[in-house]
Amino acid sequence: MQLYVNGQMVEVNSDPDTPLLWVIRDELGMTGTKFGCGLAQCGACSVMLDGKIVRSCVTPLSSVGDAQVTTIEAIEADPVGQRVVEKWIAHQVPQCGYCQSGQVMAATALLKENAKPSRDEIAAAMVNLCRCGTYNVINDAMLDLAGLGANKGETL
Amino acid sequence: MKKILFTLIAIVLVVAAGLSWYVTRKPASPFDAVAAVATPSPDLIAKGKYIARAADCVACHSVPGGKPFAGGLKMGTPLGAIYTTNITPDPKTGIGKYTLADFDRAVRHGVAANGHRLYPAMPYPSYSKMSDADVRALYAYFTHEVAPAAVADKPSEIPSPWNIRWPIALWNLVFAPDTPYQPVKTQDAEWNRGAYLVQGPGHCGSCHTPRGAAFNEKAMDQGGKLYLSGALLDGWYAPSLRNDPNTGIGRWREADIYAFLKNGRNGHGVVFGSMLDAYNNSTQFLTDADLHAIAHYLKSLPGDPARDGKPWAYSATAVADLAPAKRSSVPGAQTFAAKCSFCHQPDGKGQSPWIPALAGSTSSLVPDAASQINIVLNGSGRVMANGMPDSYRMPPYRAQLSDKQVAQVLSFVRSAWGNRGGPVTAKAVADLRKKTDPASPQVIVLQMR
Repeated sequence: MQLYVNGQMVEVNSDPDTPLLWVIRDELGMTGTKFGCGLAQCGACSVMLDGKIVRSCVTPLSSVGDAQVTTIEAIEADPVGQRVVEKWIAHQVPQCGYCQSGQVMAATALLKENAKPSRDEIAAAMVNLCRCGTYNVINDAMLDLAGLGANKGETL
Repeated sequence: MKKILFTLIAIVLVVAAGLSWYVTRKPASPFDAVAAVATPSPDLIAKGKYIARAADCVACHSVPGGKPFAGGLKMGTPLGAIYTTNITPDPKTGIGKYTLADFDRAVRHGVAANGHRLYPAMPYPSYSKMSDADVRALYAYFTHEVAPAAVADKPSEIPSPWNIRWPIALWNLVFAPDTPYQPVKTQDAEWNRGAYLVQGPGHCGSCHTPRGAAFNEKAMDQGGKLYLSGALLDGWYAPSLRNDPNTGIGRWREADIYAFLKNGRNGHGVVFGSMLDAYNNSTQFLTDADLHAIAHYLKSLPGDPARDGKPWAYSATAVADLAPAKRSSVPGAQTFAAKCSFCHQPDGKGQSPWIPALAGSTSSLVPDAASQINIVLNGSGRVMANGMPDSYRMPPYRAQLSDKQVAQVLSFVRSAWGNRGGPVTAKAVADLRKKTDPASPQVIVLQMR
């Protein structure tokens, strides 16, 4: 089966019901996308399909089709993704970092859909879980990216 | 005057004696005079094993982690819990001493070897349709291949006087058929095979046919309009298996029914709830010919437009409600977007056939929301196809979502994408949350695992 990942066509041999996550990690060897819960609850496995956020742990390979898969490895090739990464560094968002590739994906997908989201829209879209509790700094970075000013310590 | 009194007493005595004889008698079996075969052929045993799969004996006569067929599964009834029995060939605790005729009486007539009546939690009203040949094969399998397990039956918890069993004989007289399946001459062989499997060993009606006040199935075959028309049991709503486009399988083709029973999934849905057990233990093991026959028979059952209403049509209206800007103003939309949409998709179409659609799904269209509430609270078990666990599974939200949140997200689902199952109340969620809590003493009628 052919798959378009980070701008390149790749040939994969996994079964059609294999979760995209395991195709990316095990077959393609790209381990930036993380396994968290396997039940679409935490968001650590988030990738973009044609710029829309999906949870790769519950995305069967057969439903990807011709869509362009973007993983964290290529996020800086996307101008919006590059801005997100810059602000993530500026605000020193990650702690342990495990959930952060998913968080960056969620942020990028939101900003691609809506460059100036309101506080409510940010809260509605940024639902990935973080065991370290970096939510406050994620919010700071998001407000900064949305042009709403970095409001230190404000909760989502 | 005295003469009339004597006559009356005499009549009462005769009737009482007749009644007493009737309710304690052992019904006749075609195997009464048949001597046991010392060593049944491997073919007969294999056939019996297949019938045991089709009849899904193991679903109730086993407990997780226990020996196969050793019984012990607790079933709640309104009067108290009962436990399934050991049907392994252990001579002391199981059915090792049963003759073929005893076995036949238990399976097809609900009478144990010692003469007591079984509770109709054992689906003998359906099994009564099984053929003599299948009963003989089943007996060969249970007595010559099933491993004996010395596990004593647990006594029922139904208190006196409700535990007196002879009245069940009268219940049987009214509600339980007692003749094997008779082919319908106007139908072809495939249809008749399907009807036999559905009505007899498959006992589909035990869950899918509504029950009357005496807990009797309202119809035992296609002669009744309510046969397989959908029913609530064990906190799950078993939907109609008739040609109802909304609440049944009217939009399914025969090939879809085959796929559902063979693979546990098709373009319309995935097995869940009690059907998960039926799939994991039973339907996937049936031959292709038998599954096609079942599909063929079910598709012959007409729907009821008066009950089912106008056929569902997809509408994309709810998709806009899930945009980040609108979610917070539509009750349930934010929960759906955050918890449900990654699998079931904002368009409600799921990722067929791996993850089921909610748009137009039977459970989104039936007025009884029990199945949807139950699966949101408790999630689904693993679909095991060909010994391989499924990659995708509904997680339980019991600890994550409040009654109100579950009610709102389900009300959203049941009114989105053309669905019209109707709203769900927080009270209904609270009720089922309590009844499906494994730690709760409050029983669900016929609670299985």
